[in-house]
Amino acid sequence: MVIHHPSTALEAVMTRKEIPCSVYLAGGTEDLRLGGQGEGKELIDINGLVSSDIVKRDDGMIEIGALATLQDLIESDLIPECVKKGARLCASFEKRNSATVGGNIASRRDDSYLGALFCVLDVVMHTITPHGEEDKKVSDYFPTGCRRLILSFVLDPKKEAFIKRFGNTSSSHATLIAAQCEDRFALSVKGSKMVMGSSPEIYKDVEYVSDIAGSAEYKKYLASIVFTEGGK
Amino acid sequence: MDVKCIINNKNVILSGREDERLRDVLYRSGYNSVRDSDDSEGFAGSDTVVFNGKLKYSNLILLYQAEGAEIRTAEGLLNSRELNYVQKAMISSGIVQSAYNAPAAALILTWLLEHNPNPTKDEIKEALSGIFIRDAGYEHYYLAVKLATELRDFGEYRSEIAPSFRPQLNIIGKPCDKIDGASLVSGEKVFVEDKVPQDAWCLHVLRSPFAHAYINSIDTTEAEKLDGVEAIITAFNCPDIFYMQAGQGNPEPSPHDRRLFNRKVRHVGDRVAGIVARTKEIADKAASLIKVEYEPLDAVYTVEEAMAEGAPLVHNGIVEYRAGAPDNLDEYNKGHEDVREGKVVYQFPLHADIRRNLAASNKGQIGDVEKGFAEADAIVEETYQTSQIQHTPLEPHVCYATVEGGRLVVHASTQVPYHVRRIVSWVCQIPENKVHVIKERVGGGYGSKQDILVEDLTAYCAWVTGKPVYYRNTRAEEFYANSTRHPMRVHVKMGGKKDGTITAIFMEVKANTGPYGNHALTVPMNSCSKTLPLFAVDNMKYDLEVYYTNTPPAGAYQGYGTPKGTYGLMMAMAELADKLGVDYKTMVEKNHVESGYMLEILKGLGEGREGNVVPVGSCGLTEAIEKGCEMIKWGEKEDSGDPDWKIGKGFAMIMQGSGLPGLDHSEAIAKLETDGTVILNSGGADIGTGLDTISAKIVSEILCLPMDKITVVSGDTDSCAFDTGAYASSGTFFSGNASLVATKKLKDLILEEAAKQLDEEKEDLDVKAPGVVWSKKSGKEITYGDLSHTAISGTGRGQMIAHGSFVTAASSVPYGAHFAQVAVNIKTGEVKVQKFYALQDAGTPINPEAALCQMYGAVMKSIGHSLYEGIILDKDGNTLNANLTDYGVPMIYEAPEDFKSVLIDVDDPDGPFGAKSISEIACNGAAPAIGIAIHDACGVWVRSWPMSPEKILKGLGKI
Repeated sequence: MVIHHPSTALEAVMTRKEIPCSVYLAGGTEDLRLGGQGEGKELIDINGLVSSDIVKRDDGMIEIGALATLQDLIESDLIPECVKKGARLCASFEKRNSATVGGNIASRRDDSYLGALFCVLDVVMHTITPHGEEDKKVSDYFPTGCRRLILSFVLDPKKEAFIKRFGNTSSSHATLIAAQCEDRFALSVKGSKMVMGSSPEIYKDVEYVSDIAGSAEYKKYLASIVFTEGGK
Repeated sequence: MDVKCIINNKNVILSGREDERLRDVLYRSGYNSVRDSDDSEGFAGSDTVVFNGKLKYSNLILLYQAEGAEIRTAEGLLNSRELNYVQKAMISSGIVQSAYNAPAAALILTWLLEHNPNPTKDEIKEALSGIFIRDAGYEHYYLAVKLATELRDFGEYRSEIAPSFRPQLNIIGKPCDKIDGASLVSGEKVFVEDKVPQDAWCLHVLRSPFAHAYINSIDTTEAEKLDGVEAIITAFNCPDIFYMQAGQGNPEPSPHDRRLFNRKVRHVGDRVAGIVARTKEIADKAASLIKVEYEPLDAVYTVEEAMAEGAPLVHNGIVEYRAGAPDNLDEYNKGHEDVREGKVVYQFPLHADIRRNLAASNKGQIGDVEKGFAEADAIVEETYQTSQIQHTPLEPHVCYATVEGGRLVVHASTQVPYHVRRIVSWVCQIPENKVHVIKERVGGGYGSKQDILVEDLTAYCAWVTGKPVYYRNTRAEEFYANSTRHPMRVHVKMGGKKDGTITAIFMEVKANTGPYGNHALTVPMNSCSKTLPLFAVDNMKYDLEVYYTNTPPAGAYQGYGTPKGTYGLMMAMAELADKLGVDYKTMVEKNHVESGYMLEILKGLGEGREGNVVPVGSCGLTEAIEKGCEMIKWGEKEDSGDPDWKIGKGFAMIMQGSGLPGLDHSEAIAKLETDGTVILNSGGADIGTGLDTISAKIVSEILCLPMDKITVVSGDTDSCAFDTGAYASSGTFFSGNASLVATKKLKDLILEEAAKQLDEEKEDLDVKAPGVVWSKKSGKEITYGDLSHTAISGTGRGQMIAHGSFVTAASSVPYGAHFAQVAVNIKTGEVKVQKFYALQDAGTPINPEAALCQMYGAVMKSIGHSLYEGIILDKDGNTLNANLTDYGVPMIYEAPEDFKSVLIDVDDPDGPFGAKSISEIACNGAAPAIGIAIHDACGVWVRSWPMSPEKILKGLGKI
């Protein structure tokens, strides 16, 4: 395993650009997990380069350092309940102590604890690219494959959202995670790309696949009812 | 690189590669409480440490990240060798069982109590959310925390730990700390991996990518050229010895259908080559250089496929019999001489036919089932399918073997040390006196370590190379190259009358034994022999067939065949009750056996031979049913208050055995040492269940000796005498009885010697605490120490040593009833187990707190196989979920909110101090209890495992 130790965030981004088979190493729960996304790749350690603080800005928005852990979210008085609920979808306490918010979003997994939620909450990421710093919405970032480094997230604490997970056990990868905030809807479905939209009908946009998490038919059914009947 | 950090308040330098897992470096540096159960999956929590104040998985931290860190491990909980209050409470509560990750759990709970002195149940649950407990379940962890706070605040326990039994006895039936609890919870070097020296050689197994293929050639030339490769064993140079890996009594009721390596691979993950190399890296490299020419064959994965006309044959070579060969054997073998097929050798007929993939079969009946069905007012006929379940012990299968003094020494994590010795001696072709098996502490077995899955090859490699050889399954190999619970199709036809009387039962079992026939006959037999005898029904018939397939292997799993048979029969009975409009409880009450009922059905249900027809002995079934129905308020419909969530209740009656009467055999040797203490050498294998403590308690009770004056040495084939092993629920009943026999004999020797030394009549003497012989006539006393010292003096008569042997034809059957209340969401299919009550008659529970924990643990395993678990294969036989996350083991959040284990007080005439078995039976009830409750909640019969939300939705017509 090759590990790079850049001294600045920009250096980290440049390293990532130069080495195609590289990933950022944050909390390690994905990169270092057996069969995780870091397997066979070079790791760029960003610990110490990116903030883990959770602060309230003057404009009332909450800024979450990308290296804040899922447990940090739960323990923070500034974080709204729906986000804490999203963080708790990672059932393991030990894992939540390591897994970072940035890592969970950057992994863009189909069972991301926070992905669908951050999309419907219209969370904005502050990022750095080889060309400089840039803000980007999570909902715009999630469908892409860009290699920018996330520095922080900006969240409106006044927004509340609905989030619901279906999975085999508490510790399994989720079969489906649905999130809704006002007229924004998002679905993370195992084996499929995340879909977002402005009505519960977004379930029709998912390309469902049958896998160990369940049949395509089952997933489609859950997706079709989760915003209407199945959210209790 | 060198990393400076603080570990347990001491400055430490850790050395290693910067990208090494911190777990591995810590373990190598002597912090052996930090174990690995998941190969860095970030799941099981055995690798938990406190890292800069936070609980984290050390497998997910690299060495360089520890620079300047403050780390705590379980070693830091000790004050010198004194346990902390949490560790003590954990032992007292009974949760320190196989204990592979008990030190990590102790660390977590200590951390919790430091941050939150009086945590709520939810807070305890959250703290334990990242640790997988397979043996004891989670329920007594709440008790452990409570006890710890009491010990901390008051210096003593104030809560009841467990109920006590037999007031006339001093220590039997009373909670008492497990004798190996301290070494286990503190993280002492007690497991196989802890015995492996740094210079041990690594064994790596190259495995088949095909489910079914001939191996036409293997070229190891390039691999052998690598520096550090000592040997490569394949089908072309391994001994031509056919055996099987099932650890059963000899002659085994399983076919000898494999060698160490075969010319034909029969499942994905089957052995192709064993590489002995200096390091794992060299072995991996060597494996990549081995060229194997496969000839792929069509494969079969299900019983239906295996039964089909013209199906590919998993075994199709020569068949031999050691006894009972049929007359037409030559004809049967004609045209099947392809050496690549190997052969199948039966110790006696198993009613098999490999030309039809049939590995074993049996059938039998009492009464006239057709007449019974004709008399019935209603008949149900349904099929119930169980899935392939992995045991997932926290300690994977592991072995370390070396050659010392011309003998093979095998450090094993096994339930069957003497079967290991026998099979290793066969494979290595050396006599048993040249093999020394040492059973180390076992970090979870649950039946999988009844099979000799890794010891055969590891020992052989050590023997032929002369090197110390270490092998450990990866977690993935545990899934696809290990043994599993046999998938079964249980077809039940049951007829009954309107008053609830069952008139006839027909049970057809089709089992999938996978590529080899480990336990092929006996597991499915058990599906009938430990279920049908629950029914006082005159007409019963069974027909079982077991098929070879190309799935991962099957074998023994706690409960053996019984959970599957119980699922089918109880579900069918509930369906019949529903059809007849009879209350299920009424039907159960009308049809279950009671003490004295003659069990004619057992005649055909022996382990490969005629069974013993015996009457029902001690039986707490009626009380378990009555008490459980009261607890769960049977007959009262619950309302969730939410129209989407429907609540239902179900229960199942259960039984098991206490060893195998007429087959099992246990021995023990009790020795009075020179200072009056006792060492008991037990052939029994304590696999974390507390068998050694049972033996010590028996010695203590009989000899009136304090527990700290008694040592139990067990599972060492050199120093102990024979025992068939810890399986079939035999530990307490057989090995315990052997300890009892030996101890009673030792007491007799002590009294004889005392009579001589005190110049008294033996009949006037007795023993009393704390290890004293006294005369009831004269009042004279002599301590065991003085007695022993004189006996071994120059003019003495020698050390007092007694040998106890136990066999029996008696069948001490534990009974019970398990109750579930579930909530089912009729919109989403989600199921929550709200309540689970396990009521069991274990005779006299010798260690009641440990007994309760074994019940909780077994029920959790069963909740797992009922609702979540199951190996999933793709069309080519690859296991798609060969890790703990995807496989779906239940964690603390899956435990029932209201979970109770209740011991029904029954005294058994044959068990040691009235004890029967406790653990296996507890695997049998959850599936039917939950299945019946699901139907009660939403009207859907889910007739296959796992009873998933998807199946419920299908049943509801939603999808």
